[in-house]
Amino acid sequence: MLVLDRVSKTYPNGVHALGGVSIEVGPGEIVAVIGGSGCGKSTLLRAISGLDPASDGTVVLDGEPITAPHEKIGIIFQEPRLLPWLKVAGNVGFGLSDRPKAERDRRVALALRRVGLSDKAGGWPRELSGGQAQRVAIARALVPRPEVLLLDEPFSALDAFTRTDLQDHLLDLWADFKPTLILVTHDVDEAIVLADRVMVMRPRPGRIFEQIAVDLPRPRDRQSAAFDFVKRRVLAALDRSLDRAVTTPEGETKAEAGAALWW
Amino acid sequence: MSLVSMTVAAEGAAAQTQRAASSGWARLRRPALGLVLPITLAVVWEYVVRMGWASGRLAPPPSAIFAEFVDLARIGDLQRNTLVTLARVAAGFGIGVSAGTIVGAAAGYSPLVRRLLDPSLQALRAIPSIAWVPLFVLWLGIYEGSKVTLIAVGVFFPVYLGLLGAIQSVDRKLVEVGRAFRLSGFAMVRRILLPAVMPAYVISLRSGLGLGWMFVVAAELLGASEGLGYLLTDGEQLGKPAEIIAAIVAFAVVGKTTDWLIALAAAPLLRWEDVVRQD
Repeated sequence: MLVLDRVSKTYPNGVHALGGVSIEVGPGEIVAVIGGSGCGKSTLLRAISGLDPASDGTVVLDGEPITAPHEKIGIIFQEPRLLPWLKVAGNVGFGLSDRPKAERDRRVALALRRVGLSDKAGGWPRELSGGQAQRVAIARALVPRPEVLLLDEPFSALDAFTRTDLQDHLLDLWADFKPTLILVTHDVDEAIVLADRVMVMRPRPGRIFEQIAVDLPRPRDRQSAAFDFVKRRVLAALDRSLDRAVTTPEGETKAEAGAALWW
Repeated sequence: MSLVSMTVAAEGAAAQTQRAASSGWARLRRPALGLVLPITLAVVWEYVVRMGWASGRLAPPPSAIFAEFVDLARIGDLQRNTLVTLARVAAGFGIGVSAGTIVGAAAGYSPLVRRLLDPSLQALRAIPSIAWVPLFVLWLGIYEGSKVTLIAVGVFFPVYLGLLGAIQSVDRKLVEVGRAFRLSGFAMVRRILLPAVMPAYVISLRSGLGLGWMFVVAAELLGASEGLGYLLTDGEQLGKPAEIIAAIVAFAVVGKTTDWLIALAAAPLLRWEDVVRQD
């Protein structure tokens, strides 16, 4: 169980990026975090990963406080960030350097087979397409079998077809050992296709505005009425999360038209 | 084996042989192309002198230079002086690279060391190398110590600057990958920083070596009883331009060979680079 208790983040320049985020994420749950630019989604992910610890509050995984990168937590970034001096197999096995070579080779081969890139094991990262490189990044993050996998807009730089393909593939890989997934995305469809729960964040400072459960069976049909219904709920929450509240002379607050630009 | 498959196999083998031959020719053609200009100039000059259109006294023709080369080699002067110069460059290069690497790595890795050392080193870098010679001679004497130190100073700065700049420009995102996989200080250096700086480091080594060869000439011209620089002085004092040009050619050949050896040794470490390859 991953528990965030009043997690806040204030940068040295005074920017208050996160303001008291408290959430609980169960084992094997997939949570999508969505919100406008600058609402603290990536800051939240970095605080959970331990790469950029919270200034206040706690992140606890299975009773253990997380203040630095932890072996139970993996992360996939927006860009593949493959190490160009390692071949594809070397990149996938990067997090297994403390394991015996035979075990490492076996697990790397298995991971590459699972992402459909066995034939690229001996190739250089420069020889991969964007989608292939991101598959390798996914394999690299999954191969140490983390309990929690954080994904920071992992498919945002890819074309629509590759993105859809990788979303399906991610679910397929997740089913292998069902880690907890926390996915930051700008793509509402992606959030609903993948997640059990969508968390909408509100900016200045970043905080959870609304949580929407996605109780749809998998695989999810993007064209179905149920999917569309959830999507409209998420879009409405996003709009509300970003509306600029205007206080009228009578003390009443209402949304300012046209302010709801979450993308 | 059927006739058709034998024919196909034979054609395949022929095509393979042809490809191998053409790639072998391509391998030879590339360096050969670089020789076209000097060889053409040499042939033209030889022809001009032989035809009596120029005396060739101050600028001897290639045949005279070659004869001088053979003569120097026959009496052992060429080998002895080349080895002496090579030993000086090797010692100076070794010291300069070691110091440049240690100080460059420390300054690149630690902001405190950088703030402490870099301003002084940048000021020292601005001093023309030749200005050090009197001081080095006073401190270390006229013999090997001052010459090797001068070469080491020449090698130090490109290596220091190259490594410092390379460490400072390592992609933060790749360092973050290392952090995400909980790499400790030494593992981070070995698995992320070292490979990331390698291309720039190799270039700095080659620049340093180039300066090492320049500085050895300066050191040997200022006072030496042996070395290729000494052959230059000897040729000047005895009015033997062929000896001077033979020494210059020896410098070029040995300098180019040492640079090529560094590039060759570094090539396996840089195969991953995503660069424009013009071959």
